[in-house]
This record gives sequence, structure tokens and C-alpha cells, in this order.
Amino acid sequence: MSLNIRPILSSLLRNRTGALLVSLQIALALAILVNATYIVKQRVDSINRPTGIDDANMFAIDSTGFTSRYDHVSSVRDDLNYLRSLNGVIAAAPTNAIPLSGSGSSGPLYKSPDRKNSDAQFALMYEMDEQGLQTLGTHLIAGRNFRKDEILTPMTTDNQSRPIPQVIVTESLARLFAGNASAVGKVIYDPFGRPSTIIGVIPDMAGPFMNVPYRHLLFVVPQQPLIFGFHYLVRTQPGRRDEIMRIAAEHLATSNPDRVIKSVRSVALYKKEVFLTERITAICLVIVTVLLLAIAALGIFGLATFNVSTRTKQIGTRRAVGARKRDIIQHFLVENGLITSAGVVVGCALALAVGYGLSRQYQLPRLDLYYLVGGVLALWLIGQLAAWQPARRASTVSPSVATRTA
Amino acid sequence: MLPYNMRLALLSFKRTPGLTALMVGALGIGIAACVVTMTLYHAMSGDPIWWKSGRLYAVTMDSWDPNKPFDPARPQLPPPQLTYRDALHLADSGIPLRHVIMHLDRSVLTGGPGQKRPEPVRTRITSADFFAMFDVPFLYGGGWRPAADAAAEPVVVLSKQENETLFGGANSVGRMIRVNDVEFRVVGVLDDWFPHPKFYDLTGDSFAAPEDTFIPFGWTEARGKPPSGGDHDCWRLESTNTFKDYLDADCIWIQMWVELPDARARERMQTFIDTYWAEQRKAGRFERPRNNQLINETQWLVDQQVVGTDDRILVGLAFAFLAVCLINTVGLLLAKFLNGAALTGVRRALGASRRQIFLQHMVETGMLAGAGALLGLILAALGLWGLRTLYAVEAEFGANGYQDLARFDRASIVIAMTLAIIAAFAAGLYPAWRVGRVPPAVYLKSQ
Repeated sequence: MSLNIRPILSSLLRNRTGALLVSLQIALALAILVNATYIVKQRVDSINRPTGIDDANMFAIDSTGFTSRYDHVSSVRDDLNYLRSLNGVIAAAPTNAIPLSGSGSSGPLYKSPDRKNSDAQFALMYEMDEQGLQTLGTHLIAGRNFRKDEILTPMTTDNQSRPIPQVIVTESLARLFAGNASAVGKVIYDPFGRPSTIIGVIPDMAGPFMNVPYRHLLFVVPQQPLIFGFHYLVRTQPGRRDEIMRIAAEHLATSNPDRVIKSVRSVALYKKEVFLTERITAICLVIVTVLLLAIAALGIFGLATFNVSTRTKQIGTRRAVGARKRDIIQHFLVENGLITSAGVVVGCALALAVGYGLSRQYQLPRLDLYYLVGGVLALWLIGQLAAWQPARRASTVSPSVATRTA
Repeated sequence: MLPYNMRLALLSFKRTPGLTALMVGALGIGIAACVVTMTLYHAMSGDPIWWKSGRLYAVTMDSWDPNKPFDPARPQLPPPQLTYRDALHLADSGIPLRHVIMHLDRSVLTGGPGQKRPEPVRTRITSADFFAMFDVPFLYGGGWRPAADAAAEPVVVLSKQENETLFGGANSVGRMIRVNDVEFRVVGVLDDWFPHPKFYDLTGDSFAAPEDTFIPFGWTEARGKPPSGGDHDCWRLESTNTFKDYLDADCIWIQMWVELPDARARERMQTFIDTYWAEQRKAGRFERPRNNQLINETQWLVDQQVVGTDDRILVGLAFAFLAVCLINTVGLLLAKFLNGAALTGVRRALGASRRQIFLQHMVETGMLAGAGALLGLILAALGLWGLRTLYAVEAEFGANGYQDLARFDRASIVIAMTLAIIAAFAAGLYPAWRVGRVPPAVYLKSQ
């Protein structure tokens, strides 16, 4: 079966403005579709990246003492006893930073006590107690957890220079210091040259910050956090978070008049907030892309319908001289295919140019070529689908139309 | 002639209702996408203190790490904040008309009438000129005298919201409350004030609400402990065994602004900073190349990247989308006009000039674009409502300006109208011109 492209092409060229406009539209649509999908993919990836912690079943409480009578150590002890006694609580721990909250502390670590600038390794720090790992919902892959008697009191101006003997690190951080060998037992140094021995290694997990390059490099030290920036982290059995959150908030609000509970929020909410821009961008891009494809399809459909209605007479003539219904349908689909192909070729160049521009201007990763192939196929399919109904209608034109005048 | 052309257009719409709906729909959606993103962009890139931004300057000094710049991606920019001791020294220059040094802290308020629970609030610890310099409106009372800064007088200015919470909105000037368990006298209550963005301190969320309480700068030292909250950046760790060590450290956490009425004042201020820099450098500080900048407020908003990458991408996308919608409409209009060429042929034969034919079709396109803009405005209102719903998550983290930004305002209407006019011309010009070129004889013959 020959496709008879020659006559279709020549009829197209005689009426080129309409075809040109559809091609242009397809070119633009392809450029937008491919780049938007690629950006959405990156955003969705960063939102869905596994956190390595039980973020769905955790909540955080922010407690601050503000009177001169406030006794931090006893207050923390009472609160933790209360939280751990609640039915449905798996674990609770004090912490200096809430996971995914965008607020916490970081600092450099060193391989040797002479602290050369060149081997400074920035990492995020959690101050927690012996229930810290369990509260986060992570587990040890080597070494051991902190013992209760190893937990240090909060750092004050008097005890600042005391060493922190033990530290637990994430896998990636361990690899930076120990390579492929076991990191347990290895000694690392803080900026003051104080040594800490790695006693345990945990899998990589999300820390307080998501926007720093070293976001997966974390270390946990066995120390009660300071009064300021002090939080409790509570992990509950699945499905019981909100109920326990309410009970705890109510109790803690009045249990100690010398401190104030500033906020009680689920870690899921912090997560939602931290990815808000990504979410909104992704949603907007998806809506606009879907509308764009719909409009492009409707445009192709409208124009094809119009072409059919203005060419009724020619179609009738072709039918009268022996063209089958199939041939008429084929004519319009091939015509559409040619127009789409022209648009797609220009569109590919445009998509690559836009992708290159975006990666230059906004430091986005370069466009993945699979997306281009997918976009080309999608537009081809949409074009054929949009032209299908008008082509069918054209094939039903009766040959007798050709014999009528006007 | 216009009413007649409009009647012709209506008749033409009636002949092809489906096509007309398609074109209005495409234009409407395209315009809506642009109105939504432009409204957001316009709100984000606005200058909240445009009437005096030419006189306001952020004071910066590059006190950072000798080995690497504060922001490696933009090494030409000095860090956005000052160290405590540099800020104290620069505040003493006596050159600017007004100056302010400040930072964020948190406090707990108690002792308000009828207050059952302690109230955690955000506090701006600032020098006295803050209110006059930034034209902050007062409902009751006012700020404090500069002397109150040095003496750390226990005086506090409340936001309108906080005054509602503590005093039910009554004039509370002269009343006492406890701030972090210390007795403070209320000297002023602010009126509604919510600059978008929060230009005077962009270290946190750019669209967060201003603080709830304001107290004199002397309290930074008088509180005797590091502030909680705010942005505290250090390029090296120093042993800080006392609070004094903390204040003297090379960490940056103080924001400083000056109001300089003319170029002369600006030069003098710059010289003052550079002289101080040179002295300190001799003493072993400021090892980086000299980079002390007085950054004008408008430039400041650009440097601090208030408008994010994603916002720009969305605006670009919306316009590309509108372009597709326009091309779509051009194609459909062209097909439609040429299909009606027989009618046009009759009009031409009866004596209508090409100009009149052109006008007739431009009026038709204009009406389409107008309807599209109307539809666009309705869809944009819906879209902005949707965005506000999405931003509601943010609002759980305290008063927040994002929801304010996604609000339908005069700017949205102006944008929609402008786009409608552009759309009418962009979509209609070629088809309207083309249909006027049709030789009438061709169509008259076949009848």
C-alpha cells in the first residue's frame, strides 16, 4: 500500500498557513511538555525521596523555660517520663533539631587533631539521648547505641571544653572517615580538636535541612540539648499520632508554669512545609501542561473539522472517482502526521534549547533525552487522535456531493 | 460603524458556536495562567517601601573567611549581616539621618490582663530609629528615645495583633506586661503593618509577618544570653566561655540599615566604614579583599533573591502557554474567516473597502479576546484561590504573607486587560488582513 504522500504534500503546500500554525503550536507544546515534565519529575523525586526516618508517625514539641525558677534538667526528666509513659508512644527523646524543619546546627569534623582546612567535613548534628535512634525510627547497621549513663548534661559556658566521648554517624559520613573499612572505633575530631569515638553507624537519613549539599551526612551526640532550641521528638504507633499529640499538648501546657510550650506539630507537617515550593511548582506545571495538551488537541481537532467541511466537494469527487472510505481517512491522518512531524522536528530543537537555557540560568540538571522521545510520541499520538474523528466524518461524505453544484 | 460591526460579529459567532467557544476557552485559559503567575510575581517583586527606598541602605562588610566567600555562587556579595561589635561601632558614626541595628529573638509574654497561658512571641531587638526610618504606623503611642537603647529601658512596642491578644485591642500605652519574666511598660502599639517582602530582615522567610514585640537594642546585652531564633552564621569556631565572648565573636547576626538623604552623606558613610575596616585590618581582622557595601534597598531585594527560581520558571511557562493558545486562535480564526470569504466577497462587491473588511474582522477578534479576558479573570480568581489553599500549610507556621500574595487585585485586572489587547492584535491582525485580500470576483462567480 502506498501512502501517496506526494499529492497530500502538494495540497498542504498550497494551503500552508494553517498547517504552519498547527506545526508551530506543536513545536511549542513539545518544548513545554518535555521541559515541564522533566522539572516535575525532579520536584516529585525530591518530595518522595525516602527520608530514612519514620516521619509519618512522629511529632515534635517545642518547650522553653522563661522564668528564673525554671530548672531545665528536672523539667526535661519529668516531661520525658510523662511522654514515655503514654500508651501508644514507641519512644521519645530530647533533640536540638526537628527533622525536616529547616532549622538546626551543623559544623565541620576532622580526621586528625591538627584540623587541616582541607579535610574539614561539614555535617549536621543531632543532640539526643539513648532513645534518639528509636525515636527517629532508624536502626544500627554496625556498633552499638548510647548507654543511658553516657548522656551528658546540657552544654554550658562552664563545661564547654569537655570532650564528647561517643558519636554515632550515618553510613555516608562513616565512609568519608573510614573508607570501606568499619568505622566503629575510629576517632574523629571537632573544631576544637576534641576527640570522639564512633561507636555506631546508622543508614543515611534526612536531617533538619534539605537544601544543603551535605544533607545526608549526620552525626548524633549523647548530650541533652540547650534550653534554647530545645524540642522533644515523640514517635507513636502508626495511626495514633494525632490522638497522642492532643493529649500531650494539653498536659504539658499546664504541667510546669515556668516554661511555655510553643508548638506541637507533626513531622509530616514540617515535611509538607519544607517541600511547599516544590509541591506548588509541580502542581502548577502539571495543570498547565495538561491544559496545554488539551488546547493543542482541540486546536488540531477544530482545524481538521474545518478543513473537512471546506473540502466536502473535493472529498465527494475523490469518492466518486473510486477512492474508498479508508483512503479518505488515510489522507487526513497522513496529512496530520506530516504537520505533526514538521512541528515535532522544530519542537525537538526548541525543547533542547529551552532545556539548555534552564540548566544554564537556574543550575537545573540537563534535559534527559528519554523525555524528548516520550514527548514526541505523546504529541504524535495526540495529533492522530485529534484528527481521527474529523477524518471519519470526511469518509462518510457521499460521492453524490460531487455532482451537486454549490 | 462599530455597532454594526459588533452585530456582524455576533452573527458570525452564532454561525459557528463550537469554534467560538473553543477560541474563547483557549484565550481564557491562556490569559488566566498568565494572570495567576504575574499576580504572584508582581506581589513578590514589589518594593514595600518604594516612597523612600532611594534613601535606605543596608550596611554590609565582608568579615568572612579569608579562604572562601560567604556565598561561593556569588563571591562579589558581602555577607548580609554584621558582627555585633562592628554593628555597634558603625552605629556610632553620626553620619546618617537615621540608623538602625537589630536582630530577631524570641520571648515569652505573661501578665497581660485576662491572660491564662504564657504567650510565646517573636521579638525584634532594635535601636530606636526603626519606626521612623521604615515609616511604621502607630495606633497608640510611639517608639522610644535613643537613650532607651543604651540604658536597656524596659519599654516595649506591641504589634496590633499582639495588643488584641493581650489587651483586647484597648489603648495599652502605659500598661505593664512581663517579657521573659521582667516587667516592661508598653509605650506604643503598631497599626496594621505587613510589608511584602519583609525587606528589613530577609534572613528568614521573606514573606513572614513582622515581629509581635519590639524592645530597645540594649536588651541584646542585658538579656545576658544568646538570642534564640534569627540567623547566626559563623565562619570559624571560637571558644566562647562567657556571654561577652559570644558578643565579641566573628559571627554575623546583626542587621544594619541607614537612611542617607544625599550622595554626600553616602560618601561620608562609605569612608567611615572603609576607615574602620582599615583600622581593624591592621589589627588582624578582615583578611578578605575590601568589600564594604552600602546596598540600596531595591538592589537589596534583588541580591537577597526574594523572587525564587521557580516563580520565574512559572511566569515563563505561562507566557509560552499563552503563545500556544494565541497560535491556536490564529489558526482557527484564519480558517473561519476564509470560510466566510464568500460573504466578504459580497460585501466587497457592494462597495466595502479593504479597510472596512479589516475593521470588521478586528472587531470580531476584539470581542473574542474580551470574552477570553473575562473568562480568564474568572479562571484566574479560581486559580489564585487554589494557590491560597496550597499555601495554607505555611500559615500554620505563624502569620504569613504568601496567602496575601496570591490575592486577586487591581494588578491582576490590569494584567488581564493588557493581555486581552495584545491577544486581540496578535491573533486577529493576520487573519483580518488576509481575508481582506480575497478577490471578490472568485466568490461571486460560483454563486
